[in-house]
Amino acid sequence: MQLIWEGFVEALRLLLGGDGALYQIALRSLWVSGLALAGAVVLGVPLGGAVALTSFPGRRLLVTVINTGMAAPPVVVGLLVALFLTRTGPLGELRLLYSNWAMVIAQVIIALPIVTGLSLAALQQLDLGLRQQIAALGANRLQAFFFQMREVRVALLAAVMAAFGGVISEVGAVMMVGGNIAGQTQVLTGAIVQETRMGRFANAIALAVILVALAFSANLMLTIIQQQGRRP
Amino acid sequence: MIAPPPEGHPALRASKLSVRRGGATLVAVDDLALYGGEVHVLLGPNGAGKSTLLRALNGLEQADGELVFDGRPIRTYGGRLALRRGTAAVFQKPHLLNTTVQANVESGLRLRGVDRAEARQRAAAALDLLGVARLAARRPVQLSGGEAQRVSIARALAVDPAVLFLDEPLASLDPPTRRALVDDLLRIFERSAMAVIWVTHDRDEALAVGDRVSFLERGRIVQTGPAAHVFAHPASTAVADFLGLDTYLEGVIVNDPDGATRLRLPSGVDIACGEAPDGPAAACLPPEDVVLFSGPPPDHSTSLRNVLPGMVKAVKPSGRLLHVVVVSGPLEIAALVTRAAVEELGLTVGEPVVAAFKASAVHPIPRQDRRRP
Repeated sequence: MQLIWEGFVEALRLLLGGDGALYQIALRSLWVSGLALAGAVVLGVPLGGAVALTSFPGRRLLVTVINTGMAAPPVVVGLLVALFLTRTGPLGELRLLYSNWAMVIAQVIIALPIVTGLSLAALQQLDLGLRQQIAALGANRLQAFFFQMREVRVALLAAVMAAFGGVISEVGAVMMVGGNIAGQTQVLTGAIVQETRMGRFANAIALAVILVALAFSANLMLTIIQQQGRRP
Repeated sequence: MIAPPPEGHPALRASKLSVRRGGATLVAVDDLALYGGEVHVLLGPNGAGKSTLLRALNGLEQADGELVFDGRPIRTYGGRLALRRGTAAVFQKPHLLNTTVQANVESGLRLRGVDRAEARQRAAAALDLLGVARLAARRPVQLSGGEAQRVSIARALAVDPAVLFLDEPLASLDPPTRRALVDDLLRIFERSAMAVIWVTHDRDEALAVGDRVSFLERGRIVQTGPAAHVFAHPASTAVADFLGLDTYLEGVIVNDPDGATRLRLPSGVDIACGEAPDGPAAACLPPEDVVLFSGPPPDHSTSLRNVLPGMVKAVKPSGRLLHVVVVSGPLEIAALVTRAAVEELGLTVGEPVVAAFKASAVHPIPRQDRRRP
């Protein structure tokens, strides 16, 4: 108990003392996961929309692949990205392995099926009659797409929340493709692993507090937006 | 006599229009023209293809054949978009967007590129026309079924459509709400030059709102004409079966000072009927309410206010009963009687007979005497 208590006190001191290295790691985490999330939303929402609103041969297979991807273990994604980015891999010449960009790529791949799958599910739930009504209102294809997105905005926000939660707390892929290099590619999760291993529990606790606070405030922000349209 | 079709160019004309799906032909219509200022009712049983035809007419459903809107043939995606932007549709469900009533009514205008200020003004006017201006700030979940449908209609009217498509717009409303909305819609249509096509399977609704009626059966239009004509002269047994074997009566309601209501037919014959306001009206007399006698009805049946002597014109089987047509002057009255009664009364074609029915058997439906502008 003594160990835990002392760890918390020390962590508080680090947090309040404005430990530079600590906040640098937190910022890197936000930067990597935020960028990955943005990429996944930009790609995943239109992709989910396209799959939801059209029919083509192989659609069922694609939906199955997307749904499977939602549960893909981050370490497997990390392995795949590492295989592609390693010196002798197909994209080895880009020299991206053990860089922040490698972590962004891996997290886009983790978040993309979540955003795509949940957007697809949200749009598919939309009443067929409402879709017809939107067309009858005089919407062209693009306008109709945006109208339908607006109708399912709450579900889309949930998709973004789920994806953010998935990438910010993920540890397997970032450590494999980022290398967990202190001061360069170390993010919150990797740092917690390292500090714990080395017995520096106070540092680990301080990092964990930041990670939980980040996840909490991001979700709080999205929840506030989500609940705004709700009937009082 | 069949009234000629309206003059001028139709707002929308469909020729040889067909919708096929999976090898089956759902709709095949040779010719259908919608004219400005006219309410055209598409009447028919469930599954006849009315809604499919409506969707094909406003470009929501892929169809073969020719569709001419505003003088231009509709062939491409762009053409169908122009058709949808020149028209508006209201379905059985209001299908409001999850935003305020005001924004809902503005949505069609905004999609057409109308600027915010003008859209706001036109939406307010449309809401006012439907009597729901006070709901502008509400959201769809805060509306009753009738209010939501009024908002949906306001949204359609706000874009000032050349053709208004109504697909069973009253079907999910309760009778009082329905009646109030019919009255308001007829008042609006009366002052408007738009063409209205109204899908329904309710013959009373068709009779109340329709200038012209097209009867749809298994995807085909089997009869088109002025509402009164279709009701009085069904072109096929299918139409007659759907409309019922009712005797169709059309005339003017006259309320006597003593409280009696009569329907005065063009031939001058007065029919005692149920309550209705003065003015043009039509009524259906259900054949099972008509009693036949070989002579004057006995004194104890004084509630039979209408007593019309005539002659048997036809006797046809109708299920377990017999369908007897009695000619009384210019009127043809249908009655359903048992085989035993037919034998007892000696009803054969050409024999004299007396048809009698209560005033309450005749339910007049007021008809607006609308004129095209």
